[in-house]
Amino acid sequence: MKVRAIALNTFSGLVRNKIIILFCAGCICILLLMLTSLLAMRNLRAAQNAERMQMMVLPLIAGMMTFISGFGSLLAAWSAADAVASEMRAGTVLAVLARPVRRWEFLLGKFLGVQLLMFVFVLIMLGLNYLLAWIGGATISTNPWVLIVYPMVRYAVYSALGMLLVTVMHPIVAFCIVLVVMIGAGLVAPNNPQTFMPEWLRTGLFYVLPSSNLLSETRFLTITRATLRAATWTDHATALVYGLDYALVCFVLAAWIFRSRSLSRD
Amino acid sequence: MAAAVIEFQHVTKVYKRLFSEEKLAALSDVSFESAPGQVCAFLGPNGAGKTTSISILMGFFFASSGEVRVFGYPPGDLRAKKQIGFLPENFAFHKFLTAPKLLRFHLQLAGRNPAAAGSLIPELLAKVKLNGYENLKIGKYSRGMVQRLGIAQALLCNPQLVVLDEPTSGLDPAGRREVLQLLGQMKAEGKTIFISSHILPEVEQIADHVIIINRGKMVRSGRLRDLLAAGRQVEILADRVPEDLPWLRTATVEPAPRGVRILVDVAGKREAVESLWAAGCDVIAMTPLRSTLEELFLKEVDQPGGAQ
Repeated sequence: MKVRAIALNTFSGLVRNKIIILFCAGCICILLLMLTSLLAMRNLRAAQNAERMQMMVLPLIAGMMTFISGFGSLLAAWSAADAVASEMRAGTVLAVLARPVRRWEFLLGKFLGVQLLMFVFVLIMLGLNYLLAWIGGATISTNPWVLIVYPMVRYAVYSALGMLLVTVMHPIVAFCIVLVVMIGAGLVAPNNPQTFMPEWLRTGLFYVLPSSNLLSETRFLTITRATLRAATWTDHATALVYGLDYALVCFVLAAWIFRSRSLSRD
Repeated sequence: MAAAVIEFQHVTKVYKRLFSEEKLAALSDVSFESAPGQVCAFLGPNGAGKTTSISILMGFFFASSGEVRVFGYPPGDLRAKKQIGFLPENFAFHKFLTAPKLLRFHLQLAGRNPAAAGSLIPELLAKVKLNGYENLKIGKYSRGMVQRLGIAQALLCNPQLVVLDEPTSGLDPAGRREVLQLLGQMKAEGKTIFISSHILPEVEQIADHVIIINRGKMVRSGRLRDLLAAGRQVEILADRVPEDLPWLRTATVEPAPRGVRILVDVAGKREAVESLWAAGCDVIAMTPLRSTLEELFLKEVDQPGGAQ
């Protein structure tokens, strides 16, 4: 009951958070700009070579989906960092932890509140994906559970990482580090052809950084008449367990650090 | 004697800067106890270590050395926290909530079902005079309303120990009086109150026990009655006073409705009265002057090196 109360309170706070509202408004503006070109292409399609236009439209849709997905990871990290930091900043954490609430229960409540926000985000994103595909004149053949579970696990990883970092540093610094981690994870992904990094460093970082590529739903995303890309249940299970394990380790570390942290109004 | 509700045994708290040898002792060897049902005033100038001590008591900070027990448990233990109501200094709430929602949230945090609380929340809001503001978001509350709401949440689960850090800060005189009345009610209900405040005349009205700390060290502790009884002056009321008495040079003489009021040191009271009688004056009354808590406090914290 305590954890649920903290989670719901965190969710209520996050949907009213001005920075997050601003964050989402920025994302919507960018999407609208991209949508303009998508609509223009769709109108041109009838007049020009339909096959060629389809090849231009589909990457644009995939790009928009990747953008929304990446934005979600940043939103998850920021929300988690801010959910904890804002309680410390305002001093509300003192009133909450004066109650018979364990520190890890507080963090878990915060974490679940962020996951609730991200679940709403994923549902909106899913609807937007289908809308974009429809506007672009295509259909999404991917099974919807993949488009829900994979981003949720990825967001759990980034929110746990954000939460871990904010237990020892300012939320903006924590967010910047998560951003660097995200970029780094993309650079060291096996499908990235970059060559400036020595192999040993690339391998080392690949094992340490969360694999956004492995947890990306876009690798299953097929926006044509094609069917779901072949993936066995063991592939899914391995990828999802990897993500959940990463999130769990980050969360346990965050709880361990928070356990011995002095709490005062920052 | 019943077991102490709060026990501080040789508590020291040293703040250390990360990656630096610089250290700051916020508390040095502080020891005190608070008995059940007692109103304990925890006093000290700004930066004396009051909030640090309260934070250690609540389990927010960790003592560098020494032992702290609350209801016999270490600070932060859930069994202790279940019995504590706490009002932090400059209390802050989730501004998007209304007062009833906030109190329901705190009930849930205490492991209680808000649906089963019945009329508890409306009664508490009425007690702190916040009834009628149930639909107003806390972000729109005045400082005094927030403080009263803080007191309501501190009293929410009928705690046995109420820890209040500057409960009257930001309140106007009427608000302070209301808080004082609430504290009086809690005292009458037999609750243990641990209060830190700068408004000494008000604390004096309700406190049983006083602890004064300065620069992280405890400078005075004891029953308020005992500490204030040890006044240094005596008031003598006489019908008149001759001007040639030698001890008058060190005494204070003021006109009073029925004669003159003379203030002399306790050590010189006998000489003063005898010389007044010898001069044919009528000594109407002689009263030992009780010092105020403010005088006691200022005397303790102003002593050069007293807290070193």
